[in-house]
Amino acid sequence: MGSWPAFAAQPVEILVLHVWGTPPGQAAASTMHPIAQLIEAFNAKKTGITVKGETPSTDYFATLQKAQAQIAAGRAPALVTTPWSNINFAVQGLQVATLEQIGGNEVRPVLANYKDEVLPLVTMNKQTVGLPLAFSCPVMYYNNDIMKQAGVDPAELFKDWASFKRLGAKVKAVTGNPILGLGNNADWEAQSIIQCNGGRVLDDNFKPAWDSPESVAAMTTIADINKAGLYLQSTTAESNAAFIGGSLAIWMASIASLGGLSKQVKFDLRTSPFPVFPGKPRKMSSGGSFLGCYARDKEQQRAAWEFLKFVASKEGVEIWLKTGYLNSTKFDYPVLPGQESAYIQLREGLTRESPWPGSRAAEIQKVWGTYVQRIWAGDIGAEEGCKQARQQVEPLLPKS
Amino acid sequence: MSVPLSATTREDAAAIEPAAATRRRTWSRNRLWEAATPYVFVAPVLVIVGVFIYWPLIYSIYLSFFDWNFVSPVKEFVGFDNFVRLAVDPRFHRALYGTLVYIVALVPAQVILPLGLALLLWPIRRSRAQAFYRVTLFSPTVISFSVAALLWLWIFHPLQGFLNKVIFDFGFAKVNWLSNPNTAIWCVIVVSVWKTFGFNLLLYLAALEAVPTDYVEAASLDGAGGWQMFRLIRFPLITPTFFFVLVTTVISVNDEVFGAINVMTDGGPFDRSSNIVYYLYEQGFRVFQIGSASAVSLLIFIGTAILTWIQFRYVERRVHYG
Repeated sequence: MGSWPAFAAQPVEILVLHVWGTPPGQAAASTMHPIAQLIEAFNAKKTGITVKGETPSTDYFATLQKAQAQIAAGRAPALVTTPWSNINFAVQGLQVATLEQIGGNEVRPVLANYKDEVLPLVTMNKQTVGLPLAFSCPVMYYNNDIMKQAGVDPAELFKDWASFKRLGAKVKAVTGNPILGLGNNADWEAQSIIQCNGGRVLDDNFKPAWDSPESVAAMTTIADINKAGLYLQSTTAESNAAFIGGSLAIWMASIASLGGLSKQVKFDLRTSPFPVFPGKPRKMSSGGSFLGCYARDKEQQRAAWEFLKFVASKEGVEIWLKTGYLNSTKFDYPVLPGQESAYIQLREGLTRESPWPGSRAAEIQKVWGTYVQRIWAGDIGAEEGCKQARQQVEPLLPKS
Repeated sequence: MSVPLSATTREDAAAIEPAAATRRRTWSRNRLWEAATPYVFVAPVLVIVGVFIYWPLIYSIYLSFFDWNFVSPVKEFVGFDNFVRLAVDPRFHRALYGTLVYIVALVPAQVILPLGLALLLWPIRRSRAQAFYRVTLFSPTVISFSVAALLWLWIFHPLQGFLNKVIFDFGFAKVNWLSNPNTAIWCVIVVSVWKTFGFNLLLYLAALEAVPTDYVEAASLDGAGGWQMFRLIRFPLITPTFFFVLVTTVISVNDEVFGAINVMTDGGPFDRSSNIVYYLYEQGFRVFQIGSASAVSLLIFIGTAILTWIQFRYVERRVHYG
């Protein structure tokens, strides 16, 4: 462990709300979640700051909700894992303290260690809203045993959406079940698929752009896959369980699930980049969260910054990367088996996860997410669905 | 004629006066204490009810006229905007429809079904079999809603669930129970009935136990059959319990399904299993629109008050309090 300067004469305790609980019975240093290892490693340095980690929920939204309640009660947590998609809400709704506010001149050298394509994701109005932490993108997890049984070459299957639909029928013949399940919130995967067809979810002014012909065509693609009986309409928990249980061949979800899935499945687990649209580049959305500082008290802010510096250090990054998240820094670490697909997508250029605008950001996301599910499930046509979603979202957009 | 007071008498009078004053003061203190005693005893409850029921109610009425997210230092006064927005929000309309479906399906299921079961169990009240049935049927009530919903998640699982395995074995196609907009709400209803009817069953069994046997014996001697015995003797005498079950079920039915909705469907697919209470939760604690959530809570309060008033106005008159 490297040396770390003592911070304060008086002990300071800060609270970090995050979404990664250490499973029961895995409190030993080697098996506890890397976020807990990070906290423990920092506390071991005895800087005068004690970091306390809490997992109110494994859901980003619920955790942010808990943070919001604590801020409202005047007990703001120092740091909270804030999803990229809630960056506008963090700034406008929760008044997050920027890194420049809490770290002053020390911020620039710390951020210099981060990849150039990552920093714009946490930058708003030329201010750094938080420290990039969980950096991910969606990938296709697949059960290679089923592919072998089906005699399907995964590279060919995932080449583009047309080949996916064509060869998917052969995969379906093995299990008799739909082959594609959805993890995470539907709007996240939808953003990637739309972008891969040249569309956008939000324009540069954060206004809906999901009803363009390119976007509608992209949405129709999954609806067609559903019509062909290849898409499993289910909750995330259901599709996750089905994939782990071996009854679902393909699961599109965050690369962050790699670590957990690797331990849970009993088959040959592989990953693939998303299929593309013929002749168009892949343009996936990033995802995950940054550590935002919500402390109102100067001493708490300063202590939070000390912890953030540790998280951003080589030692901290090394601990964190055990999670399976992508390396968002310039520190050189080996790619874990299965992460290759995500790094391919990263090199091709990841975009920011849709930063939903205004104080009704979460409501807008909810409305759009519901329409995505309706369109994919065939409950409404893609064109009509995109149009209705826009109409429903218009009154929720910021007035200016 | 005035009688001059002797020195001793004057001294006595001087001594008596303060004593009388003290008595008067004591008497008035006693009167005051006597008058205040009920209020003193009731005060803790009044404070608790005031702080935890009436203050939130008043404050939520106040908040329903603002656009606020709980945290922002600025609450923007928006008048009736939150109510207008609800009037045109399709998600709210779906939640209202869901609320109606839950009431129409669950009120009879939780009021009539337990009554029917209680009547079936009543004749075997002295046997061990009834104890067995009582425990079996009441057990789901004591399980937490989250645990019960998790258990049912596995039963309803589209590919690996018990229910689909059974229907598949019988040659039917698998159903996406919780992701199909036509079945999800019925799954929530089934779980809610399974989870909550046991409590009402126990209430009915207790009420049937309390029916005076001389009425039953007299009716029996007069030749009353099973149906007549129920319609003319037992049911009228258990109407206070029936009325209590009806009122509390109508009030609580939409709260009770919240746990199942939250764990099993998240209101989906496409808000089709949502109800007004879940919508309120989403507005307040998922999308952080406290003003909108407060407006919904006010509507729930008014709606519940109206439904309860209707029941007291039209159903209570048929209740026999003995």
